[in-house]
Amino acid sequence: MENKTVQILKAKRRALWRQRFMENWRVFMRNPLGRIGMSLLVMFGLMAVCSYIPPMIDPMYHPMTGVDPKVVSSVGPSWQHWLGTDFMGRDIFSQLLAGARVAFLVGVSAAFMSVVLGTAVGMTAGYMGRFTDTALMRLADMIMVLPTLLVVLMLAALFGQLSIWMIVLMIALFRWPGVSRIIRAQTLSLKQRPFIDAARVSGASHLRIIFRHIMPNVLPLAFLYMTFRVTSAIVIEAGLAFLGFGDPGTVSWGMMLQWVWKTGYMFQAPYWLLPPGICISLITLSFYMLGRAMDEVLDPRLRDETQAG
Amino acid sequence: MSESREHKTILQLEQVSRFYRTRGNVFRGGGRLVVALNKINLSLRQGEIFGLVGESGSGKTTCGRLIVRLEEPDEGRITLGGEDITHLKGKKLKDYRRQVQMVFQDPYQSLNPQVTIADSVAEPLITNKLGDPLDHLERVLKVLDTAGLSPSEDYVYRFPHQLSGGQRQRVAIARAIVLEPSLLVADEPTSMLDASYSAQIFEILQGVRDNMGATIMFITHSMASARYLCDRIGVIYRGHLVEQGPAEQVINAPQHPYTKALIDATPKFGRSSEVPTYGTLLAAERPATSSAGCPFFRRCALAERLLCAGTYPPWHDVAPEQVALCHLLQDAAPAASSG
Amino acid sequence: MALLTVENLGIGYQTAKGLLKAVDGVNFSLEPGRSLGLVGESGCGKTTIGMALMGLLPPNGRITEGRIVLDGVEISTLPEDELRKVRWNEVAMIFQAAMNALNPVKRISAQIMEAIQTHRPDMDDDAALLRVEGLFNLVGLPLERLHDFPHQYSGGMKQRAIIAMALALNPKLVIADEPTTALDVIVQDQILKETKQLQSQFNIGIIFISHDISIVADVCHDIGVMYAGQLVESGPAEEVFFNSQHPYTQALVSSFPTLAGPKTKLAPIPGEPPNLTGTIPGCRFCDRCPKDTASCKLDHPKWQQVGPGHHVLCDHC
Repeated sequence: MENKTVQILKAKRRALWRQRFMENWRVFMRNPLGRIGMSLLVMFGLMAVCSYIPPMIDPMYHPMTGVDPKVVSSVGPSWQHWLGTDFMGRDIFSQLLAGARVAFLVGVSAAFMSVVLGTAVGMTAGYMGRFTDTALMRLADMIMVLPTLLVVLMLAALFGQLSIWMIVLMIALFRWPGVSRIIRAQTLSLKQRPFIDAARVSGASHLRIIFRHIMPNVLPLAFLYMTFRVTSAIVIEAGLAFLGFGDPGTVSWGMMLQWVWKTGYMFQAPYWLLPPGICISLITLSFYMLGRAMDEVLDPRLRDETQAG
Repeated sequence: MSESREHKTILQLEQVSRFYRTRGNVFRGGGRLVVALNKINLSLRQGEIFGLVGESGSGKTTCGRLIVRLEEPDEGRITLGGEDITHLKGKKLKDYRRQVQMVFQDPYQSLNPQVTIADSVAEPLITNKLGDPLDHLERVLKVLDTAGLSPSEDYVYRFPHQLSGGQRQRVAIARAIVLEPSLLVADEPTSMLDASYSAQIFEILQGVRDNMGATIMFITHSMASARYLCDRIGVIYRGHLVEQGPAEQVINAPQHPYTKALIDATPKFGRSSEVPTYGTLLAAERPATSSAGCPFFRRCALAERLLCAGTYPPWHDVAPEQVALCHLLQDAAPAASSG
Repeated sequence: MALLTVENLGIGYQTAKGLLKAVDGVNFSLEPGRSLGLVGESGCGKTTIGMALMGLLPPNGRITEGRIVLDGVEISTLPEDELRKVRWNEVAMIFQAAMNALNPVKRISAQIMEAIQTHRPDMDDDAALLRVEGLFNLVGLPLERLHDFPHQYSGGMKQRAIIAMALALNPKLVIADEPTTALDVIVQDQILKETKQLQSQFNIGIIFISHDISIVADVCHDIGVMYAGQLVESGPAEEVFFNSQHPYTQALVSSFPTLAGPKTKLAPIPGEPPNLTGTIPGCRFCDRCPKDTASCKLDHPKWQQVGPGHHVLCDHC
């Protein structure tokens, strides 16, 4: 083929994908929930990035190890410490920033892992059917009925303090069944669609059908569930940390809440108690709103350019 | 039309049956056996368009799915060019599908919504590892042109939802003919489309037959489209083939009471004076009798109770090349043998 | 007096890409006991007209201009609660894919009784049941299947039940939107015959919406051919189909395979219908039209009378 035609076609292909992205983006941003969720997330993202700055200004702003030598107990907001300090004189604002970093890390990585696992299991079960389906789904049922927080607590009690990565892994391992059920249902309905028959007639292998024809149709859904999983992962991590089973080497918002409770400042230091609490609520809310807006993007009724008949 | 061609059989179905078991439940116990196809004998000749006409649930789609081996027959044998393909598996099945392709009924469902037109049409090339991506693109462009989507450059990089129903069905045809198959099964390719698009689809199918030499099995519920497009037609009723013959002959001189009923029911569009009314359909269906009798007995106005209810009807050679499954017919004088 | 008059009707849908003019400048009228067939391809606005006649346009659609007058009452401007009285009492609709319009968990008899009693609150259960039995006889459904659930019915029986429901309140006008599209040929034939018979028996006006010209040619007295939101040819069925004047009608007829007569080559209509968002200056069919001239693209075509009651929207006829 002529080189020029190829170039033109390549440009057309790029334009097609750009157009698809812009279309989705427009639907997403048209939704007020999407706009609010997105701006909140950008704010938390900035917080996470900025968490590296305070320790650079002065070692005493290090969220974990930096102690203001002039302070002996928790004090309220001041010029030095915008949100005050904790019981040993650590800066609450820089702890809050560091907490955002941990929340993203825990939330996104745990959600990512559980969604990858859940999607893989769900697609396999839905496509293979029969025995594989039954076996995988019973396993999912068993894990689904286990109360995640309780089991993780017991494991933590057994093995002593858990590192943050262990916590992430646990959350991922316990939260995939919900995703897998939804992906399985979607796969089952996709499997019946004529375009799968068409692919079979075209000579596609089972692997190709799964990865080339089913996966692109379930991925948006998986991605949607990832945003909801982020929410639950952050809440679980905060709960663990508050109950004293967090990773003692990291500063998360849950940890901050645990410290304020354990040192008895719960009702004396609102400047210490409220910011992490509000942050946890807001970040989960923002991921949830993101998910809801994405739901709208995926809704075919809004995608199809329905013509009047 | 078919006279000028050599009558070389390409596809043959011998005594092919397919059963489904309905899912049982707590109250009914095990599932019921439903016969989708009952001992079908059919042969397609090289280069012809064969119409399989029937109502929904008659088994015509099942028949098509058996031929492309999306399903396996429970009994009987299917051969393509003399080779038994009834129970092919794996590599051999894949090779078989390079020769036999299918166009599905609903173009809104038969194209993957997440895959571009270029990738959809190139699918058979990719799975069969024929050439590199640039070759694929070139062949895709060419075949889209053949399927009436030109300039094809404008269509390759679009998603199915950006096309109209007629355009989608042409993409589906392009995908089916990109490997230049020797047999194409078209399962009601126009029933979801507006009339102006169906005429285009007919034209393309004729082109596929004339220019690629493919044999086409055209599955339809419409006698009028079968008349327009097909060389020969077979009429199928609840899993039983009841009449077969040259299209013009079957429509102008139908012999089986069911074929006559179908023709009665088809709107004539201003030509009702040219088509006789046969009145072979019983107003109220008869209660079910033994399964041994004629499949059409319950709705047949001509049926004779003892004969038709009790024994399965024989095939009669009612005219040259035309056969019908009915007790009440007689062989035409010089019984011409027929497929 | 005409049962229904539609004057200069325009209907628009608000979409993400602007106002889509699904129906533009449509005029027709219907006498009691007559039937009008609206034919055209999908997207030509025929279903939208049916919905507007019922006052059931979707939330993003509205009547932008013109009037709909039913039996002397202008229904296009009626408020919703007034409209509800007109709906079913005077106008009934048989929907596209009507089989899904039945509630799967309620018995057929109960559903039709409910439809009756909603509009006739004074009718007691016995009277309503009697009425339903009468309707069953009318549409040819066996009485012993009266209390079945919808899933026990075949497709044709469901369609009959829907027709019974539409006739339950003796409407003056019935709008049938592709009532037989999902049915088999034989069942379709039976239902069409019964519809025709019921219509003459009760002097109902019918608007029959379909994409299948052979069906409307069989059933309807008058035909309106629609293209891209406009009526392009109207007149008695015989005239419109067998003495077609508009190039689009001619193309429709010649792209339709028939069961008898000479086997002529079908002529597909090239191209696609125009996009209806934004304004179209000239004739809407000119891109696909064999008679297209330079002036067609620029000026709106005008209605011409080509025979008794036979009108065409084309400057070259």
